[in-house]
Amino acid sequence: MTAVSAFLVPGSPLHLLRPDNPPWRPIIAGFERAARALAVSRPDAILLYSTQWIAVLDALWQARPRLTGTHVDENWHDLGDMPFDIRVDTDLAHACVKAVKAAGISSKSVDYDQFPIDSGTIVATRLLDPDGRFPLVMAANNLYHDAATTMKMAGVAAATARAQNKKVAVVGVGGLSGTVFREPVAIEQDRIAADSDDDWNRRILRLLEKGETGQLDGRIDEYAREARVDMGFKHFAWIRGAIGGRFFGARVHGYGPAHGAGAAVIEFRL
Amino acid sequence: MANGEILAGFLAPHPPHLVYGENPPQNEPKSEGGWEPLRWAYERARKSLDELQPDVLLVHSPHWITQVGHHFLGVRHLSGKSVDPIFPNLFRYSFELEVDVELAEACCEKAAQRGLTAMMMRNPKFRVDYGTITTLHMIRPQWDIPIVGISANNSPYYLTTEEGLDEMDTLGRATREAIEATGRRAVLLASNTLCHWHFHEEPDTPEDMSREHPQSYDGYKWDMRIIELLREGKTAEVFRILPQFIDEAFAEVKSGAFTWMFAAMDYPELPGELHGYGTVIGTGNAVMEWNLVKAGLAGAAAIPPSAAGGREAYAGAMR
Ligand SMILES: [Fe+2]
Repeated sequence: MTAVSAFLVPGSPLHLLRPDNPPWRPIIAGFERAARALAVSRPDAILLYSTQWIAVLDALWQARPRLTGTHVDENWHDLGDMPFDIRVDTDLAHACVKAVKAAGISSKSVDYDQFPIDSGTIVATRLLDPDGRFPLVMAANNLYHDAATTMKMAGVAAATARAQNKKVAVVGVGGLSGTVFREPVAIEQDRIAADSDDDWNRRILRLLEKGETGQLDGRIDEYAREARVDMGFKHFAWIRGAIGGRFFGARVHGYGPAHGAGAAVIEFRL
Repeated sequence: MANGEILAGFLAPHPPHLVYGENPPQNEPKSEGGWEPLRWAYERARKSLDELQPDVLLVHSPHWITQVGHHFLGVRHLSGKSVDPIFPNLFRYSFELEVDVELAEACCEKAAQRGLTAMMMRNPKFRVDYGTITTLHMIRPQWDIPIVGISANNSPYYLTTEEGLDEMDTLGRATREAIEATGRRAVLLASNTLCHWHFHEEPDTPEDMSREHPQSYDGYKWDMRIIELLREGKTAEVFRILPQFIDEAFAEVKSGAFTWMFAAMDYPELPGELHGYGTVIGTGNAVMEWNLVKAGLAGAAAIPPSAAGGREAYAGAMR
């Protein structure tokens, strides 16, 4: 099996920047458990897709060997800086560009000093692999790609890893429900903004826990629409594509709010 | 201080291709040119801006997106290298700019007084977005006039277009009040493309102009209809059909800069001067000017006799 572990995690900078805030503790605790599980799975690389890395022309793949710097979030700049130091498996990244192109999805690598790295990628790498032990392969969220295209891309990426004899941890970075507070809210008062969003999130989390892929397939579009799910839940499509569609259940390591939106740390049973 | 006023507003779109085509020393990638008619349009706009001698340039950019409120750059000096995430092959630009923090704070305060969520951006490590930088370079490559940078709150996308643009209208009115109260002679820059349908692949040579044309004929016709109305000064009519234009031409004015600017100018029924129109990767871009001084709607605030000299001293301090 190429995929040795798979995780869906939130990309909001809030949890990373204020880990001790009580409403955000469950997410931080969830990240800690997921980080241990990821380390134990001993991947050769992490295949990561963040909804916040936006592309519009091609499928973009990060191909710079090492990315370092300090990022400040566009919205949460008052909460502090996010330094990062990310290693990239450039062999695998370049092979993914080639293979995804061959599969009919126009693809490109990016290898530029100071290329903007999104908050979600930084949050996920800092909290899932705090010591930077595993190199990454990162693909952008092309706004014109639907879930099927995203799944296909992830499937090709996993197959490319297999061809290189590499085991991968699959990570989809993004939120659950997307209703947010439009005004500042004291961070210790944070909660899921709408009860209906909370209900939807919990329903979907239960289906994930049970591995009810059939039922999930029937409900995801409705969930995405009704609960304003982050990018139509394409980060989940990425995970499904990379693990070959099926999983046998999941553990929700943490669930909670991110300024009203829904967030969860989920580990899939493969 | 009082008697500040808005001297002019410019529709000043931000395709990074225009900077790339010009080959300024700040931009790493080098081109063989390209998009000349649009760059010549900006040349005319630069001349006009130069004559106005403003104290400050205010720019509202769709590529600084904020979910909670309208944000204002609030750090006096910002610098760095801006790499466009969509066109990193074309735009890797080293910038240095000065912010008019006092005016930014006044804008923020007035916006809050009008009921908007508004906040200052005080983090010195903040990376200024590429839309703001491209627009500012194209209109004033000397970087010798302080600026106010305003984020695009995502309300037109999160709420309805109409509700979102209502917020931008309020933001514009607040901006005007702040300019008047602080005594600034200000120019507004709406960093927006018109029709935003674009190609999904770039030619191997991005500046190969044999490949450049409108992506959509319907989008092009929409742009011409809007520009014609703007040239005739039929501002109210433009704003009546704006939501339909946004829907049918996927227009970037949805993000609010255009509404913000016109609200700040109080929607003058004044013929706009078209400096030029052109497409960039299929999208429609117009460089247009509404000169309130020439129209007799501004100009009460005297130009300080030392303005030009003062600006040179300022530019010297920047180096
Ligand atoms: Fe844009």
